[in-house]
Amino acid sequence: MLLSDLLDLSVRDHDGTHVGYVIDARFVLDGAPGPTLAGARLHGLLVSPRTHTSMLGYERTGVRAPAPIGAFLGWLHRGTFLVRWPDVARVDDQHLVLRDGYVRVDPGLPSG
Amino acid sequence: MKRLLGVALGILTAIGGFLDIGDLVTNAVVGSRFGLSLAWVVAVGVVGICVFASMSGRVAAVSGRATFEIIRERLGPRAAAANLGASFLINLLTLTAEVGGIALALQLASSVEPRLWIPVAAFAVWLVIWRVRFKIMENVTGLLGLCLIAFAVAVFLLGPDWSELAAQVMGQGLPEESTTVYWYYAIALFGAAMTPYEVFFFSSGAVEEGWTVKDLSQSRINVLVGFPLGGLLSVAIAACAAIVLLPQAIQVETLSQVVLPVAIGGGKLLLAFVIVGIVAATFGAALETALSSGYTIAQFFGWSWGKFRKPRAAARFHLTMIICLVVAVGVLMTGVDPVLVTEYSVVFSAVALPLTYLPILIVANDPQYMGEHVNSRVMNAVGSLYLGIILIAALAAIPLMVITGAGA
Repeated sequence: MLLSDLLDLSVRDHDGTHVGYVIDARFVLDGAPGPTLAGARLHGLLVSPRTHTSMLGYERTGVRAPAPIGAFLGWLHRGTFLVRWPDVARVDDQHLVLRDGYVRVDPGLPSG
Repeated sequence: MKRLLGVALGILTAIGGFLDIGDLVTNAVVGSRFGLSLAWVVAVGVVGICVFASMSGRVAAVSGRATFEIIRERLGPRAAAANLGASFLINLLTLTAEVGGIALALQLASSVEPRLWIPVAAFAVWLVIWRVRFKIMENVTGLLGLCLIAFAVAVFLLGPDWSELAAQVMGQGLPEESTTVYWYYAIALFGAAMTPYEVFFFSSGAVEEGWTVKDLSQSRINVLVGFPLGGLLSVAIAACAAIVLLPQAIQVETLSQVVLPVAIGGGKLLLAFVIVGIVAATFGAALETALSSGYTIAQFFGWSWGKFRKPRAAARFHLTMIICLVVAVGVLMTGVDPVLVTEYSVVFSAVALPLTYLPILIVANDPQYMGEHVNSRVMNAVGSLYLGIILIAALAAIPLMVITGAGA
């Protein structure tokens, strides 16, 4: 699967209700160190209920400046959440369907 | 001397960016119609370009990478494509205008039809990009461009009524013009002052010169010397037109009318200086825009770029610039008036400004790239204020263009 297969997909929950769009993917580098890079593991996907645009780096909680842009992006992305990859039930051409009882995680990244 | 040449990048960027064919023509047109009543726009533009050029210079010095590379990496392909699409087309339009501008300036010197000069000018631009080292290129065009100081000299030689000029700055004693036309030209001047290629060129140029954190003060001096100088000379051009052309109700339509006041004030010698200055400035701007087209495309697609590499090692970068120059020559050979291309390019440039400057503001705040050198609060306040002004100018540009019939 390519990342561009996932980005922009419409997201539904298990009973078919539209909940948003995939705007970003989050990886963790906790695999065994390889010859070039530690293996990256897909942690989860960022889902925004309103927009297809990414958070442009403002998902990091330490980044808010300049205030007007930070506030605008915060407003645009209100309700954006992270779903962990195990909460994804299936992916087809048009939709990404979440499991029953999936958890909406705060999308903020604590690092600066 | 070394110190002096150290500000060459700033001088070239500013002379090329502030006194390119677009500014030469727009300032003279404005001076001949509105006197100095729009001088405040130049001041607003100077502060704006200083703010954003210093940001992109700082990004380049701290991260060692050009601003647009980081925009592509941090904001993703979609935001970068919007930015690239807007600025690249304006850039191509400006490149076309500049090559035409070199030809017009050479026509002033030689009386040879511009269409014969156009291929020669484009070829010369290509040759410099292909062969000449970055440092030499910026020093020669920057220093020769300083000949444009002749415009400021001419203002004094013309012996104007200073109180009348001062009254014009306050908007008094001027012929009636409609408010919409006034604001149309305000936006054109603002667009000409803040043309997007200036920041791309400045930050990529900083990488070409290998700036590091140690060069931050150098970067600041470059910005603070170059752009205000450019702004001052644009006001001088407008003042020349206001002193000589405005009272006679002469409308500026050709480059010869732009330099007419200089010939009246300072005679042949000063005229010769100004023509050398215009050739150098338009040539510098053609180099800047041609290089910017290569920089932005190569940085977007992740190709190797830069004059510090041999052309063979940055083949696609050089090929992009060759194609752009060929397109520019092709457009000019249709017989379109370069002055007209210029006037449109500055207005469309105003439209593209938000897409250019918003990402720069975001990237200059990114601690991952900038560490402790992220924007200060003051810088962010001014930057955000300017983003607001830019947004208003961009939204108003096209409606005003339609209403006024492009300032007719």
